[in-house]
Amino acid sequence: MSTDTATGAETTTAAPDLQTLNAGQELPTMHKFPDEAQLFLYSAASHNPHRIHYDRDYARFEGHDDIIVHGPLQGAWLTQFVTDWAGPDARLLGVTWQNRASGLPGEELVFSGTVTSVDRETGVVELEIAEHTSDGRLLMPATATVRLPTA
Amino acid sequence: MSESLIPAETLERVGEVLSGPVTTVIDRREAQRYAYAVGDENPIYFDEVAAHEAGYRTLVAPPTYVTHAVVQPRTAADLRTDGLYREGTRIRLRVDRVMFGGEEWDFLEPVCVGDEITATVRLAAVDQKEGRKGPFVRQVRETTFVNQFGDEVARSRMIGIAR
Repeated sequence: MSTDTATGAETTTAAPDLQTLNAGQELPTMHKFPDEAQLFLYSAASHNPHRIHYDRDYARFEGHDDIIVHGPLQGAWLTQFVTDWAGPDARLLGVTWQNRASGLPGEELVFSGTVTSVDRETGVVELEIAEHTSDGRLLMPATATVRLPTA
Repeated sequence: MSESLIPAETLERVGEVLSGPVTTVIDRREAQRYAYAVGDENPIYFDEVAAHEAGYRTLVAPPTYVTHAVVQPRTAADLRTDGLYREGTRIRLRVDRVMFGGEEWDFLEPVCVGDEITATVRLAAVDQKEGRKGPFVRQVRETTFVNQFGDEVARSRMIGIAR
């Protein structure tokens, strides 16, 4: 289940079927709209006192345009993007991401992905995924490996 | 090849334990607070029946939560001006700036509420590379997470880029 925060509509999509899934297939996009409150809550919940996530003057002093979205929060969204798509019976085996740039509060962040390989015997599926701003700035190129149920 | 940005003493530290082992019990409230802060309301984090139906022992923690769970309480007197805690173990490099390059995670076993997780951080690699903007150092800190059964449940490699 995933919530499209752009429309507020809750869409329940069936988990991918290993037998019909193919390389090249695209995942439905996920959208996030971080605001100051979310950055504050994430700093608190992840025990992260780094000033660039809550002190606008300090963030600008360090050369950022504004306070910035945490790298690990963007990473957690990448894992959510995959687990929402794969469904509760799948197992996330790995994820990698590169910090190219950070999102800012008030920006729309878009998560997209493509299946790069499918092993129907083991259920292991490789994905190339990414986080961009809605105007196309690449924040995080990433990969993920997930095992779908084989039966 | 330009002059080395990595002092010999730093190269000798590859493989060394930088922090830990520290042990922590995965707390339901904290794991759920984290999931809400991410905006990831997957039922396997909140609903025991859903977790059982999906094949888990009990409620699961979000995949990367384990790295935040093991953060130890520190006094605010240890904060630097940028808000980060002073580190006990510093890796000496001949560079001006260290940036987060990215992370790589292996998820080997589920991390469930009530699990006792022991984390150990090692300096996994320090390599000098030639980039378009000149030489840089790629530094990898690997954390291994082991549960109360002795199973390695996750491995994270945090990649720092220094130049």
